[in-house]
Amino acid sequence: MKFIEFAETCEKLEGITSNLEMTRIVSQLLQDTDELEIVTHFIMGRIFPAWSAEELGMGPSLLYDAIAMATGADKGRIKEVVRQRGDVGLACEELCSRRVQRPLFSGELTVEQVYRNFESIAQAGGKGSQKRKFRMLADLFGSAKPKEARYIARLVLEELRIGVGEGTVRDAIARAFDVSADLVERGYMLTNDLGLVAATAKEGAEGLEQLGIEPGKPIKMMLAQVAESMEGAIEEMEKAAIEWKYDGARMQIHKMDGEVQLYSRKLENVTKSLPDIVNLIKKDVTFKRAILDGEVIAIGEDGKPRPFQDILRRFRRKYDVEQMVKEIPFHLSLFDVLYDGQSLIDFPLSERRKILEKSLRAKHSSKIIVAPQIVTSDLTVADGIYQEALSAGHEGVMIKNPKSAYTPGKRGKNWLKIKPVMETLDLAVIGAEWGEGRRANLIGSYLLACRDVATGELLGIGRVGTGITDEQLAELTELFKALIVSEIGKEIDLKPEIVFEIAYEEIQKSPNYESGFALRFPRLISVRSDKSVGEADSMQRVRELYEKQKGRGTTREVREAP
Amino acid sequence: MVFRAVIDADVLKNSIEAISTLVDEATFKLSPGGISLKAVDPANVAMVSFELTSDAFDSYESTEGEIGLDLLKLVDVLGMADRSDNVGLELNETTHKLTITMRGLSYTLSLLDPSSIRKEPKVPSLDLPARVTLNGNELRRAVKAAEKVSDHMALGVDGDVFFMEAKGDTDQVRLELAKDELIHLEASGPARSLFSLDYLSDMSKALGKVNEITVCLGKDYPIKIDFMMADGKGKVGYLLAPRIESE
Repeated sequence: MKFIEFAETCEKLEGITSNLEMTRIVSQLLQDTDELEIVTHFIMGRIFPAWSAEELGMGPSLLYDAIAMATGADKGRIKEVVRQRGDVGLACEELCSRRVQRPLFSGELTVEQVYRNFESIAQAGGKGSQKRKFRMLADLFGSAKPKEARYIARLVLEELRIGVGEGTVRDAIARAFDVSADLVERGYMLTNDLGLVAATAKEGAEGLEQLGIEPGKPIKMMLAQVAESMEGAIEEMEKAAIEWKYDGARMQIHKMDGEVQLYSRKLENVTKSLPDIVNLIKKDVTFKRAILDGEVIAIGEDGKPRPFQDILRRFRRKYDVEQMVKEIPFHLSLFDVLYDGQSLIDFPLSERRKILEKSLRAKHSSKIIVAPQIVTSDLTVADGIYQEALSAGHEGVMIKNPKSAYTPGKRGKNWLKIKPVMETLDLAVIGAEWGEGRRANLIGSYLLACRDVATGELLGIGRVGTGITDEQLAELTELFKALIVSEIGKEIDLKPEIVFEIAYEEIQKSPNYESGFALRFPRLISVRSDKSVGEADSMQRVRELYEKQKGRGTTREVREAP
Repeated sequence: MVFRAVIDADVLKNSIEAISTLVDEATFKLSPGGISLKAVDPANVAMVSFELTSDAFDSYESTEGEIGLDLLKLVDVLGMADRSDNVGLELNETTHKLTITMRGLSYTLSLLDPSSIRKEPKVPSLDLPARVTLNGNELRRAVKAAEKVSDHMALGVDGDVFFMEAKGDTDQVRLELAKDELIHLEASGPARSLFSLDYLSDMSKALGKVNEITVCLGKDYPIKIDFMMADGKGKVGYLLAPRIESE
């Protein structure tokens, strides 16, 4: 497929708000293309499948270098145009329509060629790789028609701004190849790769049904909902399986004979940073091939879990890994098994649990355990476990339905969590503002957004400027500098990449933000480096919390009533 | 495929550096008559063509074929050779490696898959009205001066004068060479084109070492720069697309 056809479809989508119409256009695009996997990822503003460790590693700054090289415009002028247009894609389009540097040869870009250059950019490493990266991109801009440049730039920043989210693509695949949307959804949750699902769906429904899990390919993790109350949760399940909710980091473990791969909650491959965990699995897990679900915990000298930040320090560490193993030792608690030679995800939890209990060697290291679980319908027993978990410094308890299957990527009623603290929101940071006076060189406040699941758009919900220490302020400014897309006066437009955990007094209705909600007294709790923007809390969750808080009678409307 | 050759280190170094200034990886064509290459830079703005005949080598034996090389690595390896050394090159087709030997040291370099390297371009046929022959160092001097004021410079021929100029926001630089200061000048009409200094600067590293370079120019057209090396047994050509004059 010519890239211009893809670009024109994107432009058409940009002007449409009807979800049905969008689905129709995307499904047509999927039918028309031979590069189905690539186009499926591209239309969602992605280049590689979600599970892949590959990434372009290009920020706005390298993008500007590339457009400078391809068009001959100097960097000052590029920044000026970006500021005027308020969008990098539109700016690149304009710069390409008035290019100063001519290409030596001109040809027509194809979807495949664009993808191949992206692939080379992702693979470039070592000495001089930055230069090679932007030259590969300049090559694309060199041959791009202005409209193509708009979407190449947006693909690089992984935000197409056409309102097509996973939901739309799922429905479009179903429509294009006449298969059920549920089957497409199931395939996606198991493989984490809508491109693969689309290509499989094209061959027919049978292939989709056969898509399964296998060690080596990360699966979306099953998630937990917040329970209204311990009582309600246990009542509903009759008998409930109670486990500690550990204060650590979620970990999916894949064992393939002698090889082990570890994935974080974001499904990032963190194997290289955790050789101690790899060794534990190799030595103590009896299954030859397995996928296990668990939590790694860093235990401090006082026997209590160390701050979450310490865990992330280890995840990110690439050098002197062994040193970090000594500095911050990890323990691993296993609580589920998804594969032991065959897929177990459709087995009830109670069955999986029996298998999990056989997963470790009899004489295993004390650093690896199967998390204790008690099945009960007795509220006092459950409450006892909860108090125990809290006094051990953990977060609370998980209440699981023993009859439930493992549903990847789902946050359902079969796993409930109980924590004492007020629910915080994980929000994407999409913009910011420079400070004033003494803080003029620092970013003073951040614009937060929640996610519209259907369209994938990020909708503003408020600004946070409190809860940040001076030291943190400087650190955050450094972190966000690389993500600045454009600036107008004090206002900064940021590439959405970072997620903040935000606490607040209450959620209010507000016409000031796109989401229709605003947060009262928001304050920064932590930077959720383990979460991607795609995992920021959704509009729907904000609405649920809003409704829930109304039920508790704490909203202002209710309070003002006599 | 057979390829086995011995060559003067200096000739090989100069050849590879003239190419690696534009491309990091390239596919060389091998034949009984010598080696050659054509490659476009990743931004599709400049091209280099290169030829070295078999008599530039001390000994040479080759069948028809092609090999992909990581030029940055090759430059690095050749950095270990002294100017007066002889360098031996031998292809092992089964292991897909090139063995480079110099004074007892041997280095085995993995070859790149030619299909992973950008394809050889079709060279556009250009009819350029002006042709100037001069000492390469003159061009290098002009490029260095221009870099002080701008990121691009104009090259052209006006009557009997070859000129190079660059204008910055406040300052400007102009170098003029009249016909009698040049080795040769012929022009069927005026010529002037604007070029990125990024590229000219990279190219002038190789050009600065050469006594005689030939520059062909047109009006808002690519520039072609050719020179000989290895006593006329080697040939390097650069082609660079112009920038468009603003305003």
